[in-house]
Amino acid sequence: MFSAAMVGVEPRPVNVEVHLGRTNSKFGLVGLPDTAVREARYRVKAAMASSGYDMPRSEVTVNLAPADLPKAGSSFDLPIALGVLIADGKASTRHPGVVAVGELALDGRVRRSRSVLAAALVAARRGIPCLAPREAMSEAALVPDVELYPVEKLSDAIEVLSGDIQPAVPPSDRVPVFSSQDLAEVRGQEFARRGMEIAAAGRHHLLMSGPPGMGKTMLAKRLPGILPPLTRSEEMELALVWAAGDRRRPASGRPFRAPHHTASLVGLLGGGSGIPVPGDLSLAHHGVLFLDELGEFPSHLVDALRQPLEEGSVTITRRGISTTFPGRPLVVAATNPCPCGWRNDTVKRCRCSPASVDRYRRRLSGPLLDRFDVRVFLGRMETEELTGAPGESSAVVRSRVEKARGMQMERGAPNGDLSTSHLDKLPWSANAKKVLALNLDQGLLTGRGYDRVRRVSRTLADLEGSASVQKMHVLEALAYRAGF
Amino acid sequence: MNLIPPAVPYFSHRLRLAFSGWHPQRMHALVQRAGDPAGAVRMIEAGRVKSRPAARQAISVSAEQRLTELQTAGVGVVLLGAEGYPPWLAAIPDPPDLLFVKGQLPPEAGVAVVGSRRATRYGVNLARAMGAAMGRSGLTVISGLARGIDGAAHQGVVEAGGCGIAVLGSGPDRWYPVAHRSLGEALLERGGAVVTEYPPGTVPEPWRFPIRNRIITGMSRVVLVVEAAIGGGALISARLGLEQGREVLAVPGDIDRATSRGCNELIRDGAMPVLGTSELLDYLEMEGILPPAGAPGTDQPSEQPDRKRSDLEVAIGESGVTVETLLERMGWPLPRLLVSIGELESEGRVVREGGMVRLKG
Repeated sequence: MFSAAMVGVEPRPVNVEVHLGRTNSKFGLVGLPDTAVREARYRVKAAMASSGYDMPRSEVTVNLAPADLPKAGSSFDLPIALGVLIADGKASTRHPGVVAVGELALDGRVRRSRSVLAAALVAARRGIPCLAPREAMSEAALVPDVELYPVEKLSDAIEVLSGDIQPAVPPSDRVPVFSSQDLAEVRGQEFARRGMEIAAAGRHHLLMSGPPGMGKTMLAKRLPGILPPLTRSEEMELALVWAAGDRRRPASGRPFRAPHHTASLVGLLGGGSGIPVPGDLSLAHHGVLFLDELGEFPSHLVDALRQPLEEGSVTITRRGISTTFPGRPLVVAATNPCPCGWRNDTVKRCRCSPASVDRYRRRLSGPLLDRFDVRVFLGRMETEELTGAPGESSAVVRSRVEKARGMQMERGAPNGDLSTSHLDKLPWSANAKKVLALNLDQGLLTGRGYDRVRRVSRTLADLEGSASVQKMHVLEALAYRAGF
Repeated sequence: MNLIPPAVPYFSHRLRLAFSGWHPQRMHALVQRAGDPAGAVRMIEAGRVKSRPAARQAISVSAEQRLTELQTAGVGVVLLGAEGYPPWLAAIPDPPDLLFVKGQLPPEAGVAVVGSRRATRYGVNLARAMGAAMGRSGLTVISGLARGIDGAAHQGVVEAGGCGIAVLGSGPDRWYPVAHRSLGEALLERGGAVVTEYPPGTVPEPWRFPIRNRIITGMSRVVLVVEAAIGGGALISARLGLEQGREVLAVPGDIDRATSRGCNELIRDGAMPVLGTSELLDYLEMEGILPPAGAPGTDQPSEQPDRKRSDLEVAIGESGVTVETLLERMGWPLPRLLVSIGELESEGRVVREGGMVRLKG
C-alpha cells in the first residue's frame, strides 16, 4: 500500500507497511509522524468500527517508509486503514500496487486532505491506480494518464481494491477560466492600458505611477485576465506549489497575489517554522505579484525579492534541509509620484516639499527598480472619458498578447528575460539602430535603460507581428522608460 | 567697484545711517523730521529717538572704516541723486537712499519677473523659458532670487547667458535661500548684479522682503507676474508696479487653481495677458523696451532659424502635460502619439520627466 508526501514541491512516494504481531491490542505508528499523523490511530479504529470491521486483536505496527522523511497531516488515514485490513485478511487487492490518500471521518467517510496531487503524481509515475477522496477529484484530475478511483467511504475503497469498480473518467478537456474582472470596466488610462498589454505580451515587470484613486489597483487586478491561459505543465507546477503550502487554489486561471507592505519576509518568500511553505512570490508563480505602494515596502523586503525574481525560484534552508520553490511571477508595482500623491495633478495640489519628494524617489530607486522594463503614468481622467464608451475587453487584448507571446516562444524565451547578448543578436532595422545610437549619444539612455528599451521594442514589434524591430517600435518604447 | 567720492552731500552720514538696521520707511521719516541726514545721526546719538544700543553702535562707526570694509568685501555703494543710481528707480515715490551693489548695474531698466515661491511646475517652466528668452534678447531680468518663480526666471537668464539682477532682502553677503547661492554667483559671473538696500551682515528677516519688492519693480519698466496666488508677495509687487506707473503683464493659468488666481484676477483688472515667450518679446519690442531685432545695438547672435513648431509641439507646450492630456488634445491613437513624442525627444526638442512631457526650454 502506497501513499505520498510532499517535500517542497516534490511529491515522494511513501510506503505504508503494516505488521501484525503476537502481543495484544497495541497500535504503533513509526516513520517520523507529526501529531496529525499519530492521531490517525484513533480515526482509523473508529472508521473501521463504523464500517463494520474490527481492529485485529494483535499488535499492529505501521511504518511509513522511508522512515526518515517527516510526514504531516491526515492523508495517511486511508492507506493505513486499508493496510491494516489487508494484513488482517479482511480485504484483498487484485492490484499489485495501489496509492491511496484521504482523511477518515469517524463514521467511515473519506475527506479531502493534503497530498492528493502528490499521490496522483506518484501513481502516474508508477503506473498504478490511485484512490482519492471524491471531494478532491478535481485536484487529482490535473494529472494526466492516471487510473483514478474516487472514494466516498472506507467501504468504497475496499470494493475498489477487490476490483469491481471502473476507474473514473477524468474530464476530457479543461475550459480555461479567466477572471470575472474585465479590462472593459476601466475607462480611459490608455497609456497604462497599453503598458499592461506590453507587460503581458513580453512578460515585462510593470511599474505604475500616479495619484491615488486613478485606477492603479483596478488595472493590476485585470492583468491576469490578459495573460495567455496556463499551459498544462504550468498549471501542474502551480498546483504543486500550492499543495506544498497545503492550500487550494481559489480558482483556476493565473493567480494574483497582493502582499501588503507590512508582510513578513516569510510571507513573501516562503519558509516557516516546520516544513517550509511557499510565500506569495511562489503562490503567484506564472501569475501576477502586485506590490501596491512600492515606496512603503521596507527596503529589506524589496532587496530580498530581487534575486529570486532573477532566478525564477527561491531556496529556503531550514534545519539543514533546503527546499526550492519556483517563483516566476509577473511583478506589477504601483506607487504614488510623491508622498502626498498629487504631484503633477491638474486639479489637486501637491503639498510635498522638494526635499521629501527627492527622498521618496531615492527610496524607490535601486536594484529592484531596474527590473521594471515598462513604466507608465496614470493621469487624471476627464469626465468625458469616465462616462464614455467602455475600453477594449480583456479577451480582445489577450488574443493579441497570445499571438505576440507565441512569436517569442518560437525564439525561445519571453522578451522580459532577454539578456544583453540575446538582444544584440536580434534583427534590428538600420533606422532602429540609428535611433538607439542617437539616444545613447545624447545621454538620454543609460546602459540599463538601453537594454530595457530594446526589450520593450522587441515586444512592440511582436505585437505588430513584425519580424525585425523597426524605428517606430524603438521610438514608442522610449515612452515606457522614463523614471520619475 | 564704483566707490562714491565723499563729495555727495551728507555722504558719510547717509552711509552710517544705512547700517542702523532700521526699517527703511522709519529711517526716511526720521531724516524728514531731523531735516537732514546729519540731524538724524545726531538725534540717534543723543538718544532723542528710541533705538537699540546695537543700532547706535552701528551708526557710530566712521564712514571711512565702512568704506574700507565694503571695498574688501567687493561691495559698491550708489546713492540716490548721485551718479550710477538707476534713473528709473530714482523716480519712484520712495526710492532707497542708498544701494549696496555687487557686480555691474546695467544702465537700462529691465523687466521684473515676479511670482509665487510655492510655484507649480507650470509656473516654474514658464518663468524659466521667459527668463531665457529675455536673456537671449539682451534684456535685463530683475527678480528676487527667491524659491519658485524668481529663481526659475534667474535660472533661465543664466542658462541663456543673459544679464540678470537679483534684489535681495538681506545684506549683499548673504544668500537667501542658501540653495540659490550658486545661482546668484552665476548671475554675477555673467555680468549681472546683486542689489540690496541692506548693508553687509543683515540677515534675511520676513519684514525685509515686501519692501524690497519696490526696488525690483522700480528698476524695471515692465512687471511680469508669472504665477501668483491671492495674498502673496507677487501681488504686492504688481500693486507696487502699478503705483510706480509700470506696465503689469500677467501669465494666465487654470481658473480652478488657487496658484493661478492672482494672475487671472490681474488680467481681469486690466493687466496685459502674456500668452507665450514670443508674444512677450513682440510686446517688449513694440513698447521700445527691446530694440527691434536686427537693429544696431543688438549684437546678440540670433538663434538658429526657429523651425516652425508642429501641432504636437504646440500641444505639449513649455509647462508640461501628461500623456493622457495629450491624447485628448491631439485625438491621435496612442502608439502614433508615443512614437511622435519619441521622435521629438530623440531630436532633443522635448524632455520627459516624472510622467510629464514638455518642450525643452
